[in-house]
Amino acid sequence: MIGIIDRRLVKNVDWALLSGAAILVAMSATTLANLSPGRAGSTVALRQIAWFGIGLVALAIVASIDYRKLVRAAPFFYLVGLTGLVAVFVLGRTVSGARRWIAFGGFTVQPSEIFKIVFVLMLAWALTSRWAQPLTTSTLAWVLPLAAIPAVLIVKQPDLGTALLLLPVLVALLVGAGIRWRLLASLAGTGLATMPLAWLVLKDYQRERILVFLDPFRDPLGSAYNVIQAKIAIGSGQLLGKGVSGATQSRLAFLPERHTDFIFAVFAEMWGFVGCLVLLAAYALVLLRGFDIAAAAREPVGRLVALGATVLIATQVLVNVGMVSGLLPVVGIPLPLMSYGGSSMLVSLMALGLLLSVRMRQFQ
Amino acid sequence: MSRSAPGTPFGERRDAGSKRVVAIAVVVLSALLVIVGQLWYLQVLEGGHFLDASDKNRIRVRPVAAPRGILFDRNGVPLVDNRPAFTLSLIPRELDRDVERRDAVLGRVASLLQIPFEDLVGAIENVRPESFQPVRVRRGLSLEEVAKVEEWKLELPGVIVEVEPQRAYPTSRFAAHLLGYVREANDEQLKQGRYRRGDMVGQTGLERLLDEFLRGRDGGEQIEVDALGRPIRLIRETEPQPGAQVVTTIDRRIQEAAERAMDGRAGSVVVMDPRTGDVLAMVSTPAFEIDQFTGTIDRAAWVRVIRDPMHPMLNRSIQSAYAPGSVFKIIVAAAGLQEGTIVPTDKTHCTGEFHLGAWTFKDWKEGGHGTVDLHRALVQSCNVYFYQAGLKIGGTTIAKYARAFGLGEPTGIDLSGERPGLIPEPKIRKGRGAKTWYAGETVNMSIGQGQILVTPMQVARMMSAVANGGVLWKPRLVQRIERPDRGVVWSDTGKVMGHVELSPMVWALLRRSLWGVVNEGGGTGGGARLPGIDVAGKTGTAQKIAKSKAEKGEDHAWFAAFAPANNPEVVVVVMAEGGGKGGQVAAPIARKILNAIFLEKVATLDIRG
Repeated sequence: MIGIIDRRLVKNVDWALLSGAAILVAMSATTLANLSPGRAGSTVALRQIAWFGIGLVALAIVASIDYRKLVRAAPFFYLVGLTGLVAVFVLGRTVSGARRWIAFGGFTVQPSEIFKIVFVLMLAWALTSRWAQPLTTSTLAWVLPLAAIPAVLIVKQPDLGTALLLLPVLVALLVGAGIRWRLLASLAGTGLATMPLAWLVLKDYQRERILVFLDPFRDPLGSAYNVIQAKIAIGSGQLLGKGVSGATQSRLAFLPERHTDFIFAVFAEMWGFVGCLVLLAAYALVLLRGFDIAAAAREPVGRLVALGATVLIATQVLVNVGMVSGLLPVVGIPLPLMSYGGSSMLVSLMALGLLLSVRMRQFQ
Repeated sequence: MSRSAPGTPFGERRDAGSKRVVAIAVVVLSALLVIVGQLWYLQVLEGGHFLDASDKNRIRVRPVAAPRGILFDRNGVPLVDNRPAFTLSLIPRELDRDVERRDAVLGRVASLLQIPFEDLVGAIENVRPESFQPVRVRRGLSLEEVAKVEEWKLELPGVIVEVEPQRAYPTSRFAAHLLGYVREANDEQLKQGRYRRGDMVGQTGLERLLDEFLRGRDGGEQIEVDALGRPIRLIRETEPQPGAQVVTTIDRRIQEAAERAMDGRAGSVVVMDPRTGDVLAMVSTPAFEIDQFTGTIDRAAWVRVIRDPMHPMLNRSIQSAYAPGSVFKIIVAAAGLQEGTIVPTDKTHCTGEFHLGAWTFKDWKEGGHGTVDLHRALVQSCNVYFYQAGLKIGGTTIAKYARAFGLGEPTGIDLSGERPGLIPEPKIRKGRGAKTWYAGETVNMSIGQGQILVTPMQVARMMSAVANGGVLWKPRLVQRIERPDRGVVWSDTGKVMGHVELSPMVWALLRRSLWGVVNEGGGTGGGARLPGIDVAGKTGTAQKIAKSKAEKGEDHAWFAAFAPANNPEVVVVVMAEGGGKGGQVAAPIARKILNAIFLEKVATLDIRG
């Protein structure tokens, strides 16, 4: 794979970014291996590492392609992506009340996961196209629907978390594309004004989660159960953590979704505040490399792609850790590179692949 | 953080764009700092509080034992069943942390249920105090005992009564050796890592052999409990998967009849279907009280069983080998006829004594049997005839035929601990303690004495070969294993281990003589005669090697039979230890069993019809 790329490109691979990602996956595997006793734990950990390997191949493929080609093809990807999102309603498999998966032979694909990458590419294409210059209200008039259509489709699955994820990416790309601050402010104002309307669209359990976030003891054994248990798990880790065997909250299965969305609580219980600092530092390393690549990009397409990919990961980290530690309401968003699961791992590494692609062609 | 290279063509626009990226980076980093702040608050400032909360977490994870699979007989009648049983358990985490107050609670339990206080303390000694896993203290509580615990419940935090499925047997000793007992995994089994503490594991017999199939998978419940350990609500539940059902070859009616027939005697009964090798009944007496072994057995009872001079744990059908006595004459006759060394019409005059050099070998009948041919010699079990025949045939040839009939080697039955028995090799006697093979030893061998040792199961298989014309079956105990959801997961269609090649004339002669043993005048097996059913068989009286004079006379009584004689459906082998003469003791027992098999069945059919 590397062989077919220009040698100059290889020289510019961002090793710091990759090692940050590798450290995170290593921490994920350690946590997963110790979550379940005996062989079950190591099986899960090995699968996670295998997905990391597969993800690295995807990363290499994405990085080897010139991101400008990808952006040029974005409208095509976008249409395919939308088709996938619609197909979920027709062919989708229902897992715990949500239709998010399509079976493809022996595989199950989660179109909304892959759509995150397509979304970044599509917005980069739209905002750098000649119809978007200059960036005014009339530009927004056709760019915003591009974001709104998939968002509505994803909310309907229902997958509120992924849909909400699109918003920060949209805002960041608008900012990066040079939107005037005043226009952004009025956009935000309009958004806030329509919030009550959104309340009506939400499903009962989604409303309940927001109410529970506002008042955790509203129903300590129902919806708030997860939040309270996660807080207890994190808090009881104290400064240095309980170690692997002492993590009773996690190992005794008080925590729900402890392999996936709540893995941060498991990590925090095992390794304490100090461990969390190391973990967050690894994320900060990855994100800072991403922002650096965006800032150093020599033309707008590269900057927007890098910015979008970085904000995509940043938002997931912030929302996930924020929700697990009780700062945000519970929405189902995995922690990139940490949570167990193939789709999430694949998409996170593809986002990093985009960053590398931009980085390697920075000096061309 | 930006690596801007000055002088690029888009310099000015780039700077504006970079600034915006930096602005977004600052927002993201600030958010990360807020999270660090929250973690500092949760883990460092409030950490102690949450640690306390995690200790007091009042959610109990309770395993729900999967019901063990049921063993059925060949007609679908259960051999063993499950019934709910009450178990007293302690939950370490819910016991008082204060040792004095905890001991007060345990003391109350001890006096309520008459359990030694040390047992209660000992049960939780090696368990982590924060464990939720209930530690079983006593299984099989009576209803009164349960009532007592429930009555005092509020004063007994950490003490619970669980309901678990437990083995239930038709009678206290029913098929004890065949089924085997089920108990909590012992330390050795725990070390293998396949079982958790408190798991019920088959320890002997079929329960052990088929443990993997019978176990099923335990389920679990997550239960929210209040400070006193009372369940408030069920949070989550995983259904246990019951174990697989096993269809054996046993016929419960025959098994019960055989056990009744052996009542009060030590020994063994094997009933086999000669057409398939199916074991229809397998009895070993005295049996242990299988229901006493299920769950917790007290030490004294265990020691009593282990030290019992009658060895009730021993499965005499396969784990004990005896001299076959005159039953072995079938082999000698077969060898002589097939090899042509003896002719059916040749006659011997039996005076009751046989002289070989300086030695005198006696017949069991004082004064002898008079002039006998082979048929009469088998019918009357004349020793002198066989002494002479044996010498003519030779020890080596007899041993060869004995092995061909499957004696002296394990039958391959699917139960552990089977003894191979012994057929001595007259030629090869080398090595340490090597002796020459004396002609006297061949003489002894001809009537099934000396060093020959066989198990009742081997005799049943040998007799089946006589009945079916030479097919040597692997004794079959299990027909198939079925799972409720997946159908048949294992099945055994029977396996032929070998063939005994004799000419049809020889088979016919043997069967006619064995019919004569039971049905002709002067036959030793007259005690097994059954009106309406032609029984064929051979008696045997094996001298027990006497270690002292007091033991003398305690001969083992054998009777090996098949019926109906012309179209055999069952083989019945009875061996009564120290019973005396085969014809007087073992044959009547076989008669009772055959009566149950053929005549009582007809009777029940009549009633139904």
